[in-house]
Amino acid sequence: MKLVWSWLLELCDLPLVPTVEEGARALTGGGLEIEGIVDLGAGFSGVVVAEVVGKRPHPGSDKLTLVDVISARGGAATQVVCGAPNVPALGRKVLWAPPGATLPGGLTLATKAVKGVESPGMLCSEIELAVGDDAGGIIVLDADDGTPLGARAQQALGVADWVLDVNAPANRGDCLGHLGLARELCALLGGRVVPPAPEPDLEALAADLDAAALARVSITDPSGCPRYVARVIDGLTVRPSPRRFAQRLRAVGVRPISNLVDVTNYVLFELGQPLHAFDWHHVRGAHIDVRRAHAGEHMTTLDGTQRVLEPTDLLICDGERPVALAGVMGGADSEVSPSTTRVLLESASFEPRSIRRTARRLGLPSEASQRFERGVDPELAPLAAARAAVLLARLGGGRIARGAVDVYPRPPTRPSVPLRLARTRALIGVEIPAGDCEAALVRLGCDVIPDGAGHWRVTPPSARADLTREVDLIEDILRIHGYANVPATLPALHVGPAQLVDDIADRARRALAAAGLAEAITFGFQSRDRHAALGLPAGHPRAHPVAVRNPMSAEQAVMRTSLLPNLVAAVARNISFGIADVALFEVGAVFLRKPGQPLDGEPTELCDEPLHAAVVLAGARPRWLGAPQPWDYADARGVLEHLARSLGAGEVRFVAASDIPYLHPGVAARVLGADGRVLGEIGEVHPAARERLGVDGPVFMFDLTLGALPAPTPAQMRAVPRFPASARDVSLLLDDPIPAARVRDVIAGTAQVLVEAVRLAEEYRDPARLGRGKKSMLWSITYRAPDRTLTDAEVDQVHEAIVARLIAETPAERR
Amino acid sequence: MTTGSDLIAQLERLGDEFAAVIAPLADEQTIRAAQAQFLGKKGQVSEVMKELGRLPPVDRPLVGQAANRVKDTIAAAVDARLVALAAARRAADLARTVDVTLPGRPCGGGHLHLLTQVRLELVGIFAELGFAVAEGPQIETDWHTFEALAIPKDHPARDMQDTFYVADEIVLRTHTSPVQIRTMQGHPPPIRIVAPGVVYRRDDDATHSPMFTQIEGLVVDEGVRVSDLKGVLLHFVNRFYAGSGGGLDVRLRPSYFPFVEPGVEIDMSCRFCRGGGCRLCKGSGWIEIGGAGMVDPDVFAQVGIDSERYTGFAFGMGIERMAMLRHGVNDIKLYYEGDLRFLDQF
Ligand SMILES: [Zn+2]
Repeated sequence: MKLVWSWLLELCDLPLVPTVEEGARALTGGGLEIEGIVDLGAGFSGVVVAEVVGKRPHPGSDKLTLVDVISARGGAATQVVCGAPNVPALGRKVLWAPPGATLPGGLTLATKAVKGVESPGMLCSEIELAVGDDAGGIIVLDADDGTPLGARAQQALGVADWVLDVNAPANRGDCLGHLGLARELCALLGGRVVPPAPEPDLEALAADLDAAALARVSITDPSGCPRYVARVIDGLTVRPSPRRFAQRLRAVGVRPISNLVDVTNYVLFELGQPLHAFDWHHVRGAHIDVRRAHAGEHMTTLDGTQRVLEPTDLLICDGERPVALAGVMGGADSEVSPSTTRVLLESASFEPRSIRRTARRLGLPSEASQRFERGVDPELAPLAAARAAVLLARLGGGRIARGAVDVYPRPPTRPSVPLRLARTRALIGVEIPAGDCEAALVRLGCDVIPDGAGHWRVTPPSARADLTREVDLIEDILRIHGYANVPATLPALHVGPAQLVDDIADRARRALAAAGLAEAITFGFQSRDRHAALGLPAGHPRAHPVAVRNPMSAEQAVMRTSLLPNLVAAVARNISFGIADVALFEVGAVFLRKPGQPLDGEPTELCDEPLHAAVVLAGARPRWLGAPQPWDYADARGVLEHLARSLGAGEVRFVAASDIPYLHPGVAARVLGADGRVLGEIGEVHPAARERLGVDGPVFMFDLTLGALPAPTPAQMRAVPRFPASARDVSLLLDDPIPAARVRDVIAGTAQVLVEAVRLAEEYRDPARLGRGKKSMLWSITYRAPDRTLTDAEVDQVHEAIVARLIAETPAERR
Repeated sequence: MTTGSDLIAQLERLGDEFAAVIAPLADEQTIRAAQAQFLGKKGQVSEVMKELGRLPPVDRPLVGQAANRVKDTIAAAVDARLVALAAARRAADLARTVDVTLPGRPCGGGHLHLLTQVRLELVGIFAELGFAVAEGPQIETDWHTFEALAIPKDHPARDMQDTFYVADEIVLRTHTSPVQIRTMQGHPPPIRIVAPGVVYRRDDDATHSPMFTQIEGLVVDEGVRVSDLKGVLLHFVNRFYAGSGGGLDVRLRPSYFPFVEPGVEIDMSCRFCRGGGCRLCKGSGWIEIGGAGMVDPDVFAQVGIDSERYTGFAFGMGIERMAMLRHGVNDIKLYYEGDLRFLDQF
């Protein structure tokens, strides 16, 4: 909320008046963050208050006037040329920008000739000083304006002032008015808050009317409206508010409209109590009732919109119909108009949730609803009504009907809150003296009654609805004591639960970074289109993402079920920036409906959020001398094997799979663990999928479900070999479709204990030499015994036995 | 008849011949072969020595001595030749050059995302103080995200973090604080955890991303105080921004979060101007880095912890913002676009 510095000071009695910076610092330290300070008068300088002491027509133009002004009583007059139509009578005050003065926009005035007559500077309009919208003439101060001649124009305009932007905490509805902030400032700086005291004026401005005879108030729904105070002000004339009064409203961001409306806004910002002024003549039956709306009921609000109401909406009704949406917006039929002469003033408190619901549903946040949503102190209503009645009578030339109609069915009792000194000290960690605790609370307006040694019973002021528990009081003691006076200590170390999460995700990240890939982090949600690029058939476990109910854009429509689309889209993005070689990985959660949950629509329970690690390789390997070497399947597999090894996952197997919708049917495999469990997928992204995501060239990928990997066990040492190994090669001719894994499996099937390692050294096709549909593989097998040096004969015998099995079982020919 | 002096002359000639034979030889194998030709069992020296038996016994020692001299001469010639060859090879090897300004063959080049680097560092700093790591689901129940944290429906605080909904009672968590609840439900005090993780809010501009990363801290034990919160934050700030030379201060400013009381905003003294005021701290000398407070008794009640016996503090900070402050990242969106022009900088 916007806070006007002079307004705040009016409500404070401080032993030492702070500068605006000091005040801002104190409020910030007290938890009322000042997000900005604007000097209202900073836009211009050198402009002074001057009095018109003579005027005559300009000899060269009938649109111009020669005006004599003085800026000091008894001083010499200066003749200024003025083009405005409203040059006032002699004796009235205007604002003169003499040579040297600067105006908003940076113009510095000088003496210059206007139609042949020298003019030292000019007389200013609102627009020229940027203090209002009136361009129709120069500013003429009110006849009774007391600003001395020669004073800065800022003073006369009420802009020798500052506006502070206060960010009040959500639970401090009491700080949404100058009075509440004054209470805080006084508590923080040690002063006394001075609320407005309208009572004497009520008496002075009383009409020969009785409010009770002019307004009857009933509350049908006291849970929605704890208190309703009405006053009637009669004999009013609608006209613009005085300049400085209006200026305060402008300063807090409200456009002045007319005295009747402006007064309600003024008191709202002054006290934090929203008010509503009804034209009494349009309140039928002189009766106000507060009730909930009936289903299907409707009304037209003062913005001219027809509103369909719901039974949760709280209404202000007259004898026949709704006249306002309580706390949110008035009705069109009963609002004050230029012809209003008698006002029924409403000063009420409404239940926060009800106001919040209605304001949100109708999209009608207002200064009033925002305050009611945070809670307005019912005890404030009579003061606000009286204050506003006095201002209305003053500004509108009216009189106030005697008495207020105050309906307050169940005044809440505020129970006192027990407070313990020991608990206060223990929670804060400072041995605050008992007297300081007590003094802090008293400064905040609490009643503090000792209740045995180190115990008190504390009754907070009614404005502080947030103080209901001991801990709330301790917080306020600490606020006044000052957090700066709390030392820094470390909590005693007691062993809590050990690491609560497996760090497999970070181990995977480190391994993939070590493999040369860059980590990407992408959004958990994505567009439906991006998800659809996977081409998943209905019923596929990843085909039915959970939708976000209220996305801000199509890019936030559904929760990802795979890391792949965002990564391929990132490839496309990089390519569009001219980066052709992309090697990215992401480790993160995907969101899958739990088994048994409906495949479409909103889930009824939380999702499974398995952690995945996915890699994409596009373009070529890191470039060096020579031609680029495009990434291929083997690169992806190499990274995957490195990752599996790093995670202690044991051996992984690859089984060709042509049925994965988003992978090339001929370049795709399922990745299996040693126990046969599916760990993930690897291959080339299906051309249709990657094209849909914006990539033209091949993209190789893998995607592992980290949770499917076996938990790593501490590696156990095997004896370091003491005897030499012997290697034997065998060159095989096979049918092309036979996978390399087949040879490996046959060798493993021999269960030959002397085999230490099997390595494919070479693989090639050459139809001319090998025949069509054939391929050659050179395998190198290493043999070793743990307890002796193998003889050549021994190795040869084992090797030949294995070769024989390979020929028979693979099947293969020896080359 | 052969005399001793004949044989000695023959032997000495062999020595000279050998020198001539190996002079042009350039590899060890042929030199060794030549050596065998002269000194082997059937070598030329042996042939000469077969004559020894015919000499008078008095001449034999002199011839024997001559034969040994020749053998030594030949062995020395071999050694000298081999040494010379090795020296020549080494010299040739050392004459080799490469263009040391050619680019290196690419190796490694991978890296963790800046946010991951910062997160790991944060977790490490808090681990020094005994904090374990906890996590929770990103799609959370309304209860864990709000209700249990004393933010009932219609509470104004729900405005502070506009929420993505998945169903009536299921949301994308707006903060990592539900991990507090899950941890307290699962473990009796003492508790000392940090919970890093992504969160979601309906907010999208230069400083807000609809997904971002928080780190949450929670300590629950007997006798935990506001001063402990301050001490932990002070330690963290000075470790994380250690590059500033330490000496950074922490300011706690009263604020309101429904699940803590007292609640505070955490400011640290501006590491750029060291409190003097600059553009980054908007002239205040302080930079806001997160929120914190003492766990509200209502939250303890939700998870069945006795708030008379136990107290605790919690804090939450945005990891993007910390990375922004330390690494000068000026647009939060850069973190999530997978753009290598950004990612490769860290
Ligand atoms: Zn700074």
